Amino acid sequence: MVELYSEPDVKKIVVVGHVDHGKSTLLGRILLDTGKIPADKVEAVKKTCEEKHVPFEPAFFFDALQEEQEQGISIDTTRVNFEFDGHRFLLIDAPGHIEFLKNMTSGASEAEQGIVVVDCVEGIRSQTGRHLKVLSILGIREVIIVVNKLDKIGYNETTFTKLAADLADLADAEGLRCLKVIPISALHGENITATSENFSWYNGLPLLPFILKLKEDTLDFTTGSEPLRMVLQDVYKFNDMRYFAGRVMSGEIAPGMEIFFSPSGKVSTVASIETFPAGGKQKAFKGESVSICLTEQIFVERGEVISSTREVPEVETEFGSRIVWLSSEPFQPDNNYLLKIGTNEVNCEVTVVTPAGGSRHASAVLNNGDIADVKIKTERPIAFDRSLSTANLNKLVLCSKYDTVAAGVVNLKGERKHDAPVADPNVVFEEGYVQRGMREEQNGHPGTVLWLTGLSGAGKSTLAKALERFLFNSGYKVVVLDGDNLRTGLCADLGFSPEDRSENIRRISNLAKIFLDTGFITVVACISPYEQDREQARKLIGDADFNEIFMFCPLEVCKSRDPKGLYKKVVTGQVSNLTGLSSPYQPPVNPHLRLDSSRMTTRDEVSAVIDLLDQKGVVHKDRLTAPAVTPVPEATPQAKL
Amino acid sequence: MSSYLDWLENESVFIIREAFNKTKNLALLWSMGKDSTVLLHLVRKAFLGQVPLQLVHIDTSYKIPEMIRWRDEFAARNGLKLIVGQNKQALDEGMGPEKGRLVCCGALKTQALLDTVKEHKLGGLLLGIRRDEEGSRGKERVVSPRSSNSEWTYKNQPAELWHYYNLHTPDDVHLRIHPILHWTETDIWEYIRRENLEIMPLYFGNDEGKRYRSLGCWPCTGTINSCASNLDEIIEELRTTETTERAGRAQDKEDTYAMQKLRKDGYM
Repeated sequence: MVELYSEPDVKKIVVVGHVDHGKSTLLGRILLDTGKIPADKVEAVKKTCEEKHVPFEPAFFFDALQEEQEQGISIDTTRVNFEFDGHRFLLIDAPGHIEFLKNMTSGASEAEQGIVVVDCVEGIRSQTGRHLKVLSILGIREVIIVVNKLDKIGYNETTFTKLAADLADLADAEGLRCLKVIPISALHGENITATSENFSWYNGLPLLPFILKLKEDTLDFTTGSEPLRMVLQDVYKFNDMRYFAGRVMSGEIAPGMEIFFSPSGKVSTVASIETFPAGGKQKAFKGESVSICLTEQIFVERGEVISSTREVPEVETEFGSRIVWLSSEPFQPDNNYLLKIGTNEVNCEVTVVTPAGGSRHASAVLNNGDIADVKIKTERPIAFDRSLSTANLNKLVLCSKYDTVAAGVVNLKGERKHDAPVADPNVVFEEGYVQRGMREEQNGHPGTVLWLTGLSGAGKSTLAKALERFLFNSGYKVVVLDGDNLRTGLCADLGFSPEDRSENIRRISNLAKIFLDTGFITVVACISPYEQDREQARKLIGDADFNEIFMFCPLEVCKSRDPKGLYKKVVTGQVSNLTGLSSPYQPPVNPHLRLDSSRMTTRDEVSAVIDLLDQKGVVHKDRLTAPAVTPVPEATPQAKL
Repeated sequence: MSSYLDWLENESVFIIREAFNKTKNLALLWSMGKDSTVLLHLVRKAFLGQVPLQLVHIDTSYKIPEMIRWRDEFAARNGLKLIVGQNKQALDEGMGPEKGRLVCCGALKTQALLDTVKEHKLGGLLLGIRRDEEGSRGKERVVSPRSSNSEWTYKNQPAELWHYYNLHTPDDVHLRIHPILHWTETDIWEYIRRENLEIMPLYFGNDEGKRYRSLGCWPCTGTINSCASNLDEIIEELRTTETTERAGRAQDKEDTYAMQKLRKDGYM
């Protein structure tokens, strides 16, 4: 039995945005409206507001410092733990003023998601864009945007709609997925915990119910077990025993395991995991602070990364990163900085490669708040990860003598950030005479792409084949691009690392695009586990034609089906990197369709997809002549692999 | 690891180990209260039952007498070495709450603490403060540097991202390290219950239906009306309470920003 680890159920959310757009007010309002503030504290804030002759200000629950209350500005970050409807939240307040960017990043680094607050009167301002960039640099992938102060513009829907579209584009440009744009009035507490009459034109959920729904939608998919990464903090010697103390950042560790130390390259075996009170443990998981004893005594020190001997981190002296500068002292190219990754610390040289967009100076000078792509050269080798799946060993900070001055994440392999490779500038795209529209006219229907994503065994290929047969019999141009089939030819050189999976999706989406331009209904069936890769596919194919269909099927059901015998092979060790077990699956948040093959028949699934195609004007249901769908025989596992 | 308390415990143990590795002469400020007693237990968790650092108690001489009795018994039973710091000069000159509560706290707690840090050349102190206690603590960092006069520069705190704490300091700076900053009052009590920790009896309701929710000096610390006489009852009471934890602490109410002002000068 493969054990799946789930982290404690806490949603960590940071609230960011331009100064004065109402972040602390929103947070204060959330706590107040959910009854989380003791009565005597409410009274104290009321009294403070009266003394200052200002209206009752919910922000004061967070902005507790005298200077903050007197100037109506947040200086530093703070956070509250808070339970709502049985779910635990960590809400982090982050200041909006550029001068306090280091405080904003300190708060935001803890978060998994961001709420970006925008004042509907002021619209998009300098820190709105910068905060989105910073969230992206810190490794946050999803944001909810709230447009605040709608009370000031008479709850005008048109202004909101226009601003919402601009904001969604802005988030998109920074590689962030905008989950929703929600109009609110933080001051009056409208559309936060519950909607109000003034927002009758808004047909989505209010902010908190929306966040709760997100949680429920993602509950069934915990990230699969990742490779072991334990950072070594110290070696203690008590009572003639040597204990290697550190924290498991990902994966799991157990007695009997052979372990590898990076960068030293030493190997040993875990004898035991010791605890207080005594008793020991048979296994330790991600997040645990542990003390291990080894069978062979080796000399290693703080800073090492412990992994299995098979899946080791990279050890390098040079790599790229995108950083945000957080100090009022500007970056000095001649200075040596101290680089920290995990518990390792080494001196390094930093060279600015390109000051990225948003910098105030297009030069090698970096001032507080500037963002740049840099090259880092270290004095000694340092261990880290570049893959998407080990989230904790790619984060870095740079320090001057005493202070943290910059933060970032190690770039993925090949310095590729969020964008696909760009063709050589000398390559010229040759337009054809026959355009897509002409082909569609000849075919008698428009083309489109149906992108089926989900775990292995969730029913993607089954549905793809049923659709192909049904549409073909009804006279439609249709083609299936099956991920496994393409891996036998076009993508035969690719493995299952996060980078190879990304490249696989890049090729499939380009192929899908060609079929789309030929007017085909193109059915793509591939796991496509990463949100970022599907997002790239959506960009390439175009919003209008990219129909994301989430084949949602509980992991237990997929495992029991196991059409390719892959889940069994993970247990026996013949396959590693299987999505859902040893490799993560990031479920789509807003798919066009969500089909649960553990509860639906293939016929029902086909008709749900046909409904979608009918709504989009790709097919006309009344024109469909194909006979009822008959079950498609399953291919043998050999043929599919 | 599965529960939320496990998560908090593991975070805190990580911080304690970072501080121990990097800080010269690390000590634990133990007030005998529930928070610093939990912190002491976490130190044991970090070091396999050992306490490889010194304990410091700042004795104002105004502590509730039972606290001092309990302190000495607990320390003896657990083999703990204790440094007791006291501003004797101020006491000889007649310092007390009647001179003004904030003045008294400044002399008998802040100054006494700074003197102890200097006398014993402590590079860092583990403190059991929590964000949810009051507003200015809410704005703290996990690792907070204090200059030679123990000042907290709250308007210009260093960046502190992920688990990368700024533990290098100039020689005249000492660090305040807050491993349980993110715990809440309820978390503390639930953890005490789970780990079955010995805790000072003053926290439990007496025959007259009074108990202390927060402990301090007797002239400035009040009891609350409560019959909660065991851990389950205390935890249940916290779920429904309409008052804040430090409602019984008179020094907090001297001024709207009393704690901020005290803490700026180095109050814990």
